[in-house]
Amino acid sequence: MNQVALVSKSFEVDDFAAAQELYHANGWTDGLPVVPPTETAVRACLEWALMPPDQLLGIEPVREQPITAEKLAVNAVMAGCLPMHFPIVATAWQAMMKEEFLLHGITSSTGGCAVLVVINGPVRHEIGANATFNALGNSDRATAVIGRALRLGLINLLDVRSGGIDRSTLGHPGKFSYCLTEDEEDTTWQSLSVVRGIPSDASAVTVMAAMAPRQIMNEWTTDPREILETFAAEMRANQLNYSIYGGNYVIVIPKQLREPIERAGWSKRDVAEFLFERARVRRGDWASVGKGSVVRDRADKIHTALGSPDDLLVVAAGGPAGGFGAVIPPWMGSKTRAVTAAIGVCVDCEP
Amino acid sequence: MPAIAVMTERFVSAAELMGRALGMPGYEFAVIGHPISSASPEQLADYASRVVEQARRLLLRP
Amino acid sequence: MTIRVLDPTHEKSAAGLKLAPRHRSLAGQTIGFISNGKEGTKGFFTELERGLREQLGVAKVVWRTKSNYSAPADTHIADEIKRWQAVITGVGD
Repeated sequence: MNQVALVSKSFEVDDFAAAQELYHANGWTDGLPVVPPTETAVRACLEWALMPPDQLLGIEPVREQPITAEKLAVNAVMAGCLPMHFPIVATAWQAMMKEEFLLHGITSSTGGCAVLVVINGPVRHEIGANATFNALGNSDRATAVIGRALRLGLINLLDVRSGGIDRSTLGHPGKFSYCLTEDEEDTTWQSLSVVRGIPSDASAVTVMAAMAPRQIMNEWTTDPREILETFAAEMRANQLNYSIYGGNYVIVIPKQLREPIERAGWSKRDVAEFLFERARVRRGDWASVGKGSVVRDRADKIHTALGSPDDLLVVAAGGPAGGFGAVIPPWMGSKTRAVTAAIGVCVDCEP
Repeated sequence: MPAIAVMTERFVSAAELMGRALGMPGYEFAVIGHPISSASPEQLADYASRVVEQARRLLLRP
Repeated sequence: MTIRVLDPTHEKSAAGLKLAPRHRSLAGQTIGFISNGKEGTKGFFTELERGLREQLGVAKVVWRTKSNYSAPADTHIADEIKRWQAVITGVGD
């Protein structure tokens, strides 16, 4: 592997500051400083992941763009990734290139979603990811740089640049980095990846085209139905105010709200079935939020936020105190589907 | 097969980029006003007649 | 002390495509519309069909709508294109 030459063009710059100006001027960054990607740093990532530089990670179908391990590693280094972060970046990237994820559509749309990444399994400890405080903010180095690597990859490998292919009207801060892990040790629930079919001893990532988190609060009850009704209300609000169409939703349930639900014997499946029933709106309700012109003659049609209970992704994460939770809606209905992939299980799969 | 892509004026830069990315720099499109989703029937008729004119140029030999 | 740094982009320029030959006239021809099905497209394409028939003599217009407005046209639609003489897709909005 050490014998395979890197193919990326290289530039000689005077120093760190000069490197910043080169990369910013060329539109190669997200606006923040980048770690200058040297051959040594890139090779370290590839060696950790046991990938030759020319390993094909996939081909983005709309642009017919092949993506190699080398090129993704350059972007991962720029994001601040250490070698141990790279296998997670590579797995997430391959998951994003699956047809059902609709990568071109979601990254070019005016809708302005970001790629949410949830990390499960033993790898969380290896990388020091923190599933508690600030789970959806700046919780730790690993999740910050892994999320960022994906955005830099989109910018540089698929030309997803603001005002170019990326037509996001608003976007949201998750476009810098949108990555969290699950607090698997402090819950009785199965992890997200296990629910989605990955063996419990494997590490995995789940990617989803996601809008910004919508925070809810309900610290006044321990009844699971009442707690989850608040989540449902936020999902219904999203349906009316943003997009009515059903698809994958993520809900993040921190400890203070999670404990009473677990104590009452509810599993993630029970949570999903409850929200499948409760998170639905009547099309005619659109008129109450200024969208009467598109109700047409279908006022009584019921739209569910979830196509089925399987559409709900429940994540146990967040700090130990605070009766808060989060609802993370999909970009737009079911045109894109969340994808879960095991890390390290398929090192030389076909793209 | 001669083809025209119709887009509103706010999407021209994206289409130009995609044209370059797919190996067809300089590919021309039919451009109309923005937005479509809330345009009146009269506006839509006006947009359509503009595309008919652009179709003369983009689909036919000079 | 200089640093040698790598290009993060794909560094590829795509293979060139060629423009299909244009028609002398659209009179008597069949045109296909590939719509993204979003709000406003029905009204737009209705007017466009009228204009193409009245002003350019188009004989037949086939309407198709993509199943996903953010994805390329479905395979069955792309397969039908060969039966038409020109295609109009839209509307990018």
